[in-house]
Amino acid sequence: MNDPLDELLDARLRDETAYIDDDGFTARVMRELPVRPRSFQLQRAIIILAAAIVSVVVAYFASGEATFVREGFMRLSALPAVEMLALVFIYGLTTMVGGAWAALARTRDPLG
Amino acid sequence: MELSDADLLARVLVDGDQHAFGELVRRHQSPVRGLLRQLTRTDVELADDLAQETFIRAYKNIASFRGEAKFSTWLYRIAYNCFREHARKRTELVGIDEEQWESQPDPSTADPALRQDLMSALAQLPLHERTAVVLCCQNGLSHDEAARVLDIPLGTVKTNVLRGREKLKKMLAAWTK
Repeated sequence: MNDPLDELLDARLRDETAYIDDDGFTARVMRELPVRPRSFQLQRAIIILAAAIVSVVVAYFASGEATFVREGFMRLSALPAVEMLALVFIYGLTTMVGGAWAALARTRDPLG
Repeated sequence: MELSDADLLARVLVDGDQHAFGELVRRHQSPVRGLLRQLTRTDVELADDLAQETFIRAYKNIASFRGEAKFSTWLYRIAYNCFREHARKRTELVGIDEEQWESQPDPSTADPALRQDLMSALAQLPLHERTAVVLCCQNGLSHDEAARVLDIPLGTVKTNVLRGREKLKKMLAAWTK
């Protein structure tokens, strides 16, 4: 059996761990934080964009100046009006769902 | 949806996200300030200054947090180091060494009536025992975690907790009578 004094001590020690209200403490710390150099975010974006442009250029020349793209557009333009409408509708719907999902994900972010 | 400490740390490390660090400060300010209040014998102003220093140091050195221990344990370690440095500076400035400081009676315990209060009893423990008791019994750290925070052997932590508790029990024995 536990010593009653031990139990009393444990209970009192736990009681003493009262929550200390922030009371402007966090704001004070944040004001004193040193300014960190910007992260690699911008450099990352530039590298990704440059890599994408290079890939497009390589793909363009490697595919015989993208004749398949021209052919694709020609096939699309030859589609019947109903099929063209359905295609535009599906594309629009997909874009809208994607945009709404991104917006919701952003609002769910507690720090956003 | 609440982000975990690890998610917030990742944001601070990868994106330099100060909002994420602010959230970490909000979460951990109470136990860190509580620990420092105990170490400084309820000198609230000094404890808060040291707590602020603790979080600023944590921010500056966040890349060195390897995630081997809990983030709170890492913070306690920084807080304890801040306190030790302050104590050392105090020694250099006014010539009071740590042992003397430890043995100085806490002004809040001058009234014998207050001696029954746990906070007063805690304040009377030597620093090494008080720190070990506060970390393990009050803040719920394991002996192993406390050993990391204090950078002392596990056995020493156990001894300090045991001795500290025995002294507290003696001081508070009157409560059960």
